Amino acid sequence: MTPEAHQMIVHIKDLIRKPAVTIDENTPLVSSGLIDSMSLVDLLLKLEDLTHKRIPAGKVQPKDMDTVAKMFATAERVGKPRK
Amino acid sequence: MLPYANLIEALEAAPADRPFITVWIDEDDHETVTFGEFRSLARAQAATLAREDVAEGDPVVLIMPQGVPAMTTFVGAMMLGAAPAFLAYPNFKVEPSKYRSGLAGVTANLSAKAVVIDENFPDEMMPCVSLGPETKLLRAGQNKGNVRKSHEGAHFAQIRPDTLAFIQHSAGTTGLQKGVALTHASVIRQLGHLATALKIDSAHDRLYSWLPLYHDMGLIAAFILPMVCHVPIVMQLPLNWVMQPESMLQVVSECKCTLAWMPNFAFQFVPRRTPQSRWADYDLSSLRLLINCSEPVRASSMSEFRRAFRVKEGVLQSSYAMAENVFAVTESDIERGPVTIWADGQQFRGVHRIFEVAPETPGAVSFTSSGRLLPNQLAKIISDSGERLEDACVGEIAIKSDCLFEGYYNRPDLTTQVLVDGWYRSGDLGFLLNDELYVVGRKKDLLIIGGENIYPQDVEEIVSAHPAIHDGRVIAMGVYNPSLGTEDVVIVAEVEKEELLSDAAQLKQEIRSRVVGGLGIAVRTILLKPPKWIVKSTAGKPARSATRGKLLREHPEWNSEA
Repeated sequence: MTPEAHQMIVHIKDLIRKPAVTIDENTPLVSSGLIDSMSLVDLLLKLEDLTHKRIPAGKVQPKDMDTVAKMFATAERVGKPRK
Repeated sequence: MLPYANLIEALEAAPADRPFITVWIDEDDHETVTFGEFRSLARAQAATLAREDVAEGDPVVLIMPQGVPAMTTFVGAMMLGAAPAFLAYPNFKVEPSKYRSGLAGVTANLSAKAVVIDENFPDEMMPCVSLGPETKLLRAGQNKGNVRKSHEGAHFAQIRPDTLAFIQHSAGTTGLQKGVALTHASVIRQLGHLATALKIDSAHDRLYSWLPLYHDMGLIAAFILPMVCHVPIVMQLPLNWVMQPESMLQVVSECKCTLAWMPNFAFQFVPRRTPQSRWADYDLSSLRLLINCSEPVRASSMSEFRRAFRVKEGVLQSSYAMAENVFAVTESDIERGPVTIWADGQQFRGVHRIFEVAPETPGAVSFTSSGRLLPNQLAKIISDSGERLEDACVGEIAIKSDCLFEGYYNRPDLTTQVLVDGWYRSGDLGFLLNDELYVVGRKKDLLIIGGENIYPQDVEEIVSAHPAIHDGRVIAMGVYNPSLGTEDVVIVAEVEKEELLSDAAQLKQEIRSRVVGGLGIAVRTILLKPPKWIVKSTAGKPARSATRGKLLREHPEWNSEA
């Protein structure tokens, strides 16, 4: 796991406040109800921070953010370098 | 004034090759339709609706995501003389239960001839769309290819000035929205005065908007005005803006937009959600007018935006508008901008009168004007008993104009409450001073504490400024205290992070002393809640009455209102 993915997992655990839940890169978050879709705004900002990319919100669907692995794949696919 | 008899005639007069709507997703993903293309698409939509027997005077409800298909369907319905209405499309920012009940109420009231619903509208919400026995349900595809059909066979109506143009919904939470039906002549009159006041220049202006079209500011200022005045629009989808407020700065910079409207909260929201290190990356020098509208105007919000992005003097403007009047009642003088004054806070709260003082006077409160009345508007300030008050007195704003609505659609009961002798009682509190109108809050939200008028926004601003409280997620309300015979202030506030709740006692104490220090009132109860507890309106702002309802369900003992 990359350090960035690890940081994202720490951030998500902080967000959902359920210490008993284990989260890895492939844990479904939105579809499983662990993360409500309102939190996506926050996760998108965090993802931009961790990847140093600008990720246009218009190109991101909730399903693209369902797992940590998908988030980073989405950032790779639609993210743009910050000028 | 505008030389058109109706809105469709205005659209027909637009140069065919001028860009009209650009839907901006990203710098390499945006699509533009010209006025000519828009007309063809709208005619095709008209033909589709005509085949379903939609005709003059029929209400047509549109439940579609924001975009060109929704906008061309809207105009297509108008081409037939029908009266379209945009309703909010569900999204993850709106609580599903609230959306469902709102949708059921609004569609039942409109009893539409046709309801056009996007093909991707969730099936489980379909039962909430009230369909009458005569109502036709049409599923709209987002695929533009399907829309580019021949419009042969469509019978375009002879639109008279008094033909209903559309139905727009008054601001408010979805369930409480009221339909306002407006004629072509009213809308044309409003737009003529507004375009003159703003010196709209169709050859050089370009409008930026993220505003939803089911709200009057989005519908009139950011769609119908540019359509009638032939001004290109660069449009972001509301949700994309909310997810990334900073993106607005990119769009305005890159597309060199000259004109935009947004509500007061956005003037703070954009700089606070944009890292300071990037503030200087954007160039807003193309902006000619950025108009603060649809909420009481706060000088502090405007200056926060101006400082962050080095906006030129004279760009930030203000306006007071409402669906019932088509849109604008006032507009700040664009040469001079809104006027900010300072007044004695005690006199303001105690005797409801404005005594101007120097800004540095202890206890002084500031007000920023919403501008001057447009030439076709009259306004008066009235007391609770309906008497006209003189300048500098605070009371309810009543307006009269040649573009005022004639009543809420199918709701004569609600109409008689607000239309009295031709004057519309807005429910907003404000005052007139030196020909400028100042709006200070909503009458129904006002807290009366020991005879003093306390404006919930003032309490909320103080509480919001606390670093542990999520900015803008605060609601102050009055709860009647039978033993004292007056209202007590109850504050509901969301903390930034749930763990801050472990320090609740300390936090409450700090909030109490800030409110006492700022306004001289004691708060009865402070309820600290985890993030996302407060009910939000479709525009994403705290919804006062819905939150109040939620709170009273938790605290039934507060229900003993006088």
